[in-house]
Formats: sequence, structure tokens, C-alpha cells
Amino acid sequence: MSTPARPSIRLHPALAAAIIAVSVATIIYQISFAVPLRLAGQGYMMILILLAFRYWPPMIRWVKSMPVVHRVVFAVLIGSMIAGHYTLNGRTYFPYVTWEIFPFVNERDPVTCRAFIATTNSGHKVRLLVEQLFPSVVQIDPVEMMDDPHYYPPGTTEHLARTLAKVYNELHADDPVWRVDLMLLAVQLHPPAGESRANPSCELLQRYDISSGQ
Amino acid sequence: MRIIATVRHLIGPIELLHEQAGPRLLRLARLGIFLLWIVKLLLDPLWRLAELPREMFKPVGVLALLPADAVDAFLTWNGLAALLVFTLGVLVVALTDKAFPFVATVAAVLLTIYSSTIRSFGPAVHTDIVLLLAVYALAAFAWADWFALKFGDRSAVIDRRYKWSSYPLITIVAMLCLSYCLVGLNRSIAGGARVFTGVTMEVWAIDASLRGYYFNTNIGWHIPEWPWVVFMLRSGLPFITLFEITAPLCLAVPHYRWIFIPVMFSFHLMSLVFMNIFFFDDMLLYLLLIDWSRHFPAMSAKAGQTGE
Repeated sequence: MSTPARPSIRLHPALAAAIIAVSVATIIYQISFAVPLRLAGQGYMMILILLAFRYWPPMIRWVKSMPVVHRVVFAVLIGSMIAGHYTLNGRTYFPYVTWEIFPFVNERDPVTCRAFIATTNSGHKVRLLVEQLFPSVVQIDPVEMMDDPHYYPPGTTEHLARTLAKVYNELHADDPVWRVDLMLLAVQLHPPAGESRANPSCELLQRYDISSGQ
Repeated sequence: MRIIATVRHLIGPIELLHEQAGPRLLRLARLGIFLLWIVKLLLDPLWRLAELPREMFKPVGVLALLPADAVDAFLTWNGLAALLVFTLGVLVVALTDKAFPFVATVAAVLLTIYSSTIRSFGPAVHTDIVLLLAVYALAAFAWADWFALKFGDRSAVIDRRYKWSSYPLITIVAMLCLSYCLVGLNRSIAGGARVFTGVTMEVWAIDASLRGYYFNTNIGWHIPEWPWVVFMLRSGLPFITLFEITAPLCLAVPHYRWIFIPVMFSFHLMSLVFMNIFFFDDMLLYLLLIDWSRHFPAMSAKAGQTGE
């Protein structure tokens, strides 16, 4: 009595290529340290994803249906996006940027932030935000960076405070601001039990008298 | 065997999104993308940037290639207003199909300058980058169509032309999914496990909330007072990262798309509430994650073929 033949185990080419890719990445990282894991790891994960699509029949059919020039366009658009990511540069090759959102461990406690709080003629306190007075700007650098000579020339913070007050007053001529305070806002990650605040704790860092400057 | 059958049933069909898309759907997508840019620009008082301190301007992308004199001339009320008006004009022309490859290319160049300008006063944030890349795709594929028609085998081209509408649509969705995937991969590999196990997400959320952007809900910095929100953020980050990394599945698995869309939609809304960050461009691009041509035959390539 003959035993039934066992079905042969066939490794899918995509899986084989992925295993090779991950192995090569590991060797590169372990032996040469030439390519940091941050790049190699992402690079080989991306290869894995691309290989999965490379061997997926509907994708093959779709790409084969394309004239050559369309294939080139598709490859350039997707390839540029991937290449831009691996430049680890968010500015030079815009819009081909590094895609990173919350990419590293951040455990500072308390969490602090500098803010411009202005006082109007009627005594109201208003926060001056670049992103609201200049809606074109999606986000500015943190205000504390503006006092760092590596990034900005001296006096940038004061210049910005006066600019914000000027633009605010142009938009709110009925109740303009006359003073801007640079405040340090702080929130503790572990507040005392049951504590609830209406505002974060504040510390005055600098005061700018706007009325005298105008 | 029953388990495999159940899993197969849950996964559902595996088919390429927009493979059947026709010219009508492409025209609608073009209209939507250019209209979205028009609305964004209409709401933007770009000329005000001339008043921001010049020392805050750190040129991004193509703007770094401009000489200082040209930047000085550009960063004036007149220069910025001219860019805005001219770009709006080109975008309106792009809504018609007149000389589309040329007009879309000019629109892509102008929108690149515009997007670089608004990022030159801060970090090069990711909002609306995919929307800009979508304009690149529309322009590049329009040129590809033109070249293939002009220099290709004419009989073969006419025979298959009705299928071409799927190319830019699939490419745009691929770029949208790729952007999520790269973000997820970067966070997992560069950040490591501690990003997901420690207080990182709370710190990022409180930080963003304290900074306040255009939308300022003033809610997020209360997070440490609300243990259930802390739990939601900590458990939500690995969950969302998994969805980001697997976003390319949207191209292939319709059932996955129906989970991906509400999950990521909720995620973006929570980012707005707790972090003042709103990616409304990406959320509108989710409309392209629906395979309209399969639900509405009038938008399919076959309808385009018979219509032509």
C-alpha cells in the first residue's frame, strides 16, 4: 500500500522576497551599522508592502493595461513620495517630505508652552495666536524656539509680540490691546487627585508695552 | 474549513479600488479637488503674511531657490495678493476642461509655491500635502494621456482609452494610503515600543492643546484630569498606528475600507477636539475611498466607452 504523495510546499515569491529583504536589512544593521534601523526597518517594511502589491493579480492586470508613459508617471509619483520620506528632510524637497507625526518618545512633565496673552483697553485678556491672526500659517515653531539663537536672531519674540498686537488692533479697533505678556503655561501630567483648573498655571516671563511702541 | 470560510467571508472580495472608473468619475474627482483648493484659497488672507517678522521666514522647497531680492519682492502685500489671485484664476480655469494638461500643470506649480510659502513661517506640516500631490497626479496623467494619444499606436489607444480614467484615481488613493502608511511605519520603527507604552501620547496631546492653532478648543490640556481619556489615548495610539500601516489595504479590500473610514474619521475628529489639529483635506479625500463606479454604473469605464 503506497502512502499518498504529500503536496509540495511552495513559497510564494512575494514571501520569499520579503524574507530575503528583512534578512538583508538585519545583516546591514547588525554588521555594518551603515544604515540606521530607523531607515533600514522602514525601508524593508516598505519593500514588503510594495512586493505584496507587485504580486497581486489585479494590480498586475491594472499596471499591464497602462501605456508605458502612464506607468512611468505612476512610478515617478509614488517613487518620489517614498524617496522624499527617506531623505529625513521635511523642508528641502517639499512636497516630498518625511512623513512623521508623533515619531519619538516625549515624556516631559510638566508640559509647558509659551503664549502671548494681551490686555485690551477694557481690561479683557485675549490670547494672541499667529495661526488665528494669520490663518495662512498652519503652525509656527514653538515660541521658546524663537529665543534660541540657533534658530532665530535675537529679538524675534518681541518683534512677533508687537506684530501680533498690531494686527489684532487692526482687526479690533473698538477694543485694542495695549500690553502683551509672554507667559509660560504649564500642565502637570499627574495633578493632585480631584484638582480641576479653569486655566493652566501661568508664569509671567516678559511684558511688552504696546501703547508706548506705537 | 468552516473557520477559513468564515474568515474569507469577513475579508470579503479582494478587488482593486476604482479599477472600473470611467471619465465621469474622473471629471467629478477633478472638480472636487480643484473646488477644495479654491475654497481653501478663498478663506485665506495670504497678503497678511507680509506683516509677519521677516526673520521668521525660513524658505521651504522651491522658495529656497529664489534670490533674496526676489523673496523680498514676493513677501509684500502686492506679491502675496498677486499669487493668491493668479492661483485662484488658474484653478477656476482648471474647472473647465480647456487645455487641461497645461492649466493643471500651471495650477500645480502655483499651488506648490503657495504651499511652500505658508510653511516657510514654521514647520512643513503635512496638512493638504496629499491634496497637492493629487493635483500633480491629475496634471501628470493628463500629459501622459496626451503623449499616448499623440505618439502611441492609435488603434490600440482608442480601444483602451476608456480605462485610463482609473489611473489618476488609483494613484491619488495610493498616495493617500502611502502617507498614512509612512507615518505609521516611522512612528513604530523610529519611535519604538515606548511611544506606545508610556505617557507620550498624553504629552503630545497636551502640548498641542496648550499651543492652540487656528482651531482652539481649549479642552486637551484637561486630559490628565480625565482618566478615561488618558486610557483612550494610550490604547488608541497603537490601534490607530496599526490602521495607518495597513492603510494600503484600502486599495484592495472593500470590507477593510468600511472599517478604515469611520475609524480614521473618528481619529481626525478627536485630534480636532483634544489637539486642535484638523486634517479636513484628508477627510474629504476619503470620498475617493468609495468605489463609486461599482455602485453607480454611469460612472464606470463601460458607461464611458458606450458614451463615447
